[in-house]
Amino acid sequence: MLELLQRTLEGLLEAGPYALIGLGLTISFGVLRRINLAFGATALLAAYVGSWLHVRWGVPALGVWVAVILITVLVGFYVEWMCFDIADDSVLAMRRQSSVALGLDAREASVLAASFALWMQIEQVAVNFQPNHLHPFPDLSSKLNFDWGGIDLRPDRIVVFCLATGLVAGLAIWLKHSQLGLGIRALSSSQAAAQVCGLNVLRLRYIGTAVSCVLCGLASCAVLSMDGQVTPMFGMWVLLKGLTCALLGGLGSVRGVLGGAVLLGITEAHAQSLWGPIGRDAATWALLLLALLFQTQSLKHKFFHAKRV
Amino acid sequence: MNNALCITDPGIGFYTQWIILSLMGLSTWLVLQTGRISLGQQAYFGIGAYAAAVVTVMFNGSLILALLVAWLAGLIFSALISRALQKLSGLQFALATLAIAELVRLGLSSWTWRTTHAKGYEVGPDGVHGFREIRWLFENQMGPETYLSLSAILLLSTLFLIWKISQTKLGLSIQSVGLDSELATVQGEPVASLQTLTQTFAGGIGALAGALYAHQATYIEPAVFDVMLGIHAVGYAMLGGIATPLGPLLGAAFDLGLLEAARIFEGWRMVIFGGLVALFLRWRPGGLLNHAAVSYIKNLFIQRRKSDEHSKFA
Repeated sequence: MLELLQRTLEGLLEAGPYALIGLGLTISFGVLRRINLAFGATALLAAYVGSWLHVRWGVPALGVWVAVILITVLVGFYVEWMCFDIADDSVLAMRRQSSVALGLDAREASVLAASFALWMQIEQVAVNFQPNHLHPFPDLSSKLNFDWGGIDLRPDRIVVFCLATGLVAGLAIWLKHSQLGLGIRALSSSQAAAQVCGLNVLRLRYIGTAVSCVLCGLASCAVLSMDGQVTPMFGMWVLLKGLTCALLGGLGSVRGVLGGAVLLGITEAHAQSLWGPIGRDAATWALLLLALLFQTQSLKHKFFHAKRV
Repeated sequence: MNNALCITDPGIGFYTQWIILSLMGLSTWLVLQTGRISLGQQAYFGIGAYAAAVVTVMFNGSLILALLVAWLAGLIFSALISRALQKLSGLQFALATLAIAELVRLGLSSWTWRTTHAKGYEVGPDGVHGFREIRWLFENQMGPETYLSLSAILLLSTLFLIWKISQTKLGLSIQSVGLDSELATVQGEPVASLQTLTQTFAGGIGALAGALYAHQATYIEPAVFDVMLGIHAVGYAMLGGIATPLGPLLGAAFDLGLLEAARIFEGWRMVIFGGLVALFLRWRPGGLLNHAAVSYIKNLFIQRRKSDEHSKFA
């Protein structure tokens, strides 16, 4: 029984990093109405640069964190420009983008495939830049576990969980009450309607992309500082966990991300103990698939509503 | 790197691998014709490879039987998946196919079925180590030239079948679904059935590619049909062009040509290919052979024929 509780709590705390990553993807989807498949690769490249700065030049943890966030934003804008930039598009094209769940037109297919291709491009750049498998990252993990009636918990994971909860709450309040948040929400509902209302759609898109990238960079730093290292698998990990959390929580819902992360963390922790690492990975993909299968209707309603607006 | 995209044989094997990758590109291209994008055609590649290997290694079956079984396995699995994902649209469908492909890969990673071969060594699927000792070509003295011919016949038959279907009412219906599924529904086309039919056929082609690969490489392991293969299959279809089935062949040739060129600056192939695909999709969303290019080439042929007739008449 104690073991079951221990595993569940570990899974719950694992939700912290997952939620941080999911938040970035959710904001990105809310603004672009697209899923950025190069999201994980962007985080990987930034983490590799951070590791290089730390090892080669002895940059302290704070400097590495700032550098990782900056690189994530830069690479994020490169992806945005290559795949999602619609500066020269007509309002009709924007309307098409708002109907993402209603069918995949040629442009949507192109955009998805482009981000798919950039994923591998950026990942390969990262691997060529730092060819080894393991790369040290400023280690901020706690060396002593927090013992609570026979249950071991890592204090650093508790801190990250609290950070994620705080960020989710802060972001939800910002989106609800600020002028900029209102603009982003309007853009998320319907780009065409937002433009007709006089909102500067492009500016909002860029702000949304920057916020999404900053969150991604922050999440990468938080996760890697607990592990003290980064491997080439990190990119895939970021994309998979973030996407699953975002989809489980209802794509585009900031508060839902935390719920999705908790569900994913707990499921993975139990799957790992039952079936090992392959079972854990399979549980993540299965959850993602289930989220897609069961959210179709709600997403359709959402976008039909957006279309009516 | 253990990858279907990693070409090690510079001779005839190179052309066989071009055919295998072209088949994968065609498989993705077919799904694109229904207005959807699949990021998980590599799942059928894996299923086909394992199914064919089981026939020739575990049951001492012939290669033709193995290819047939692989094709059927691909068809059945893709029909089931297509039905299950029918209600998903656009983005959800693309992500669901990726999730299924990874689940298939993980499933085959944990599949172990070892038996002793007549020659004394153990054969069969061995979890993450994959399925080795697929030696049908060596045991039956089938040379690389014969294997290339067989692969070429399969590719040409597939192209011929696609071309024949595109000339029929069924082909036109599929095209109309791909262009605008809502309009096709209004016109009374059975959109869901047409999508399922096309995706089923696409799965069969992917499985054939896997079966050919497994017998050429003499082994198959789950790492071979990872997400990278899916990316390339999409890349071939989108880069080569979505207006004609020759598009994926051109895309695959482009990538392999690039690979040959990239031997000088090894390790940057994916950087160049990924960047080129993204740039092409940005500036030329329909790929190299898009509808405008195909119409232009057709017109060119028509004009030349007309001028030939004129000169003959004169």
